[in-house]
Amino acid sequence: MRIPKYIIPLLVIGLLYGGYVMRFAFLKPTTEFSFNAEGSAKLECIVEGLKCKGTANFFTKLYEGRQGIASIVTFASEHQAVFTYNPEVISPEKIREIMEADIPLRDGTKRQVFRCVNME
Amino acid sequence: MKTRYLRYSLLTVILGLVIYQALGYGSRSFEAFCPFGGMESLWGLFREGQFTCALGPLNLSMLVGVLILALIAKKAFCGWACPIGFLSELLGKFGGIVWNKRPVINPKVNGWLKLLRYVVLVLVLYFTYNIGDLIFRGFDPFYVIFSGFGHETLGWITWLTMAVLIIGSFFIPMFFCRYLCPMGATFDPVSRIGLIKIVRNEKLCTECGGCLEACPYDIDPQQMIKVRHRDCTNCFECVDACPEDGTLEIKATL
Repeated sequence: MRIPKYIIPLLVIGLLYGGYVMRFAFLKPTTEFSFNAEGSAKLECIVEGLKCKGTANFFTKLYEGRQGIASIVTFASEHQAVFTYNPEVISPEKIREIMEADIPLRDGTKRQVFRCVNME
Repeated sequence: MKTRYLRYSLLTVILGLVIYQALGYGSRSFEAFCPFGGMESLWGLFREGQFTCALGPLNLSMLVGVLILALIAKKAFCGWACPIGFLSELLGKFGGIVWNKRPVINPKVNGWLKLLRYVVLVLVLYFTYNIGDLIFRGFDPFYVIFSGFGHETLGWITWLTMAVLIIGSFFIPMFFCRYLCPMGATFDPVSRIGLIKIVRNEKLCTECGGCLEACPYDIDPQQMIKVRHRDCTNCFECVDACPEDGTLEIKATL
């Protein structure tokens, strides 16, 4: 069967767009941590600075030992962190404050590494 | 209209979108759109149910989309969408202006060198799966160019790699794609069975050599009835170069 030339760019655009739309079918986290706390409230944050597994692990460590955080799931490629927390112990504002605090770095300086762009 | 204008228009739009993402205007990193990232993430997903390093669902869904595309239209992704293939092709064209007649590589040497991309594929996947990090970023032209020699590039080693790729593309069209691209190696088996391919009408062909000269991968359609070659990207440069109407046709055939 003869095919017109323009079918190829249409196929390329269609399948790349299809790939883009299909991404939700493969939604898996970059890291997943559970802490010794109970909680049922969910908080989704878009976090600037959350880029890869390394930064996701670093991000999660900020909440180690904090009361009221049950779990943190990160999606680095989407720059997203999902908290499960106990709203009677910790508030979304406090969670944001922790992530946006200046963090001591290896060179001895302190700097803000993460910034919450959006919170739901 | 020459197919090249249509192809270059699409490639320019895609290149523009990647630059837009790379400059930080998009909602996610430009790396998230690389289908080879999907390959690199497979073992991490299988073993831990988690993505490796900066990889995410979009890498994997792009890989699926591009593999389906290869099943239908061979390596059309390489010729019609890949920004590195585009830059490589432009460099080759630039080289062609300088070289009156571009250097021809011995077909046997060319064939052996093409096996290098399988070595690259195995090395990249082996170390990425074992270490759980994208340690080849410093050698990856897609990452190096669009991150602006960013995080995890390797200083002079990365500069040297890029110099080799640029000089190589200047002498040999599609140098990186031919010999080193692991994504191309991934497509190879699927590309061979791709449905849409160029078919030559033996009766009309005068064997003028125009198609061979036009092919950026040095594939010779005059030696075949159906172009099943693993490197064919369905760019249709050969179809446009053919002086005999109806000799090279695009068909959906097994």
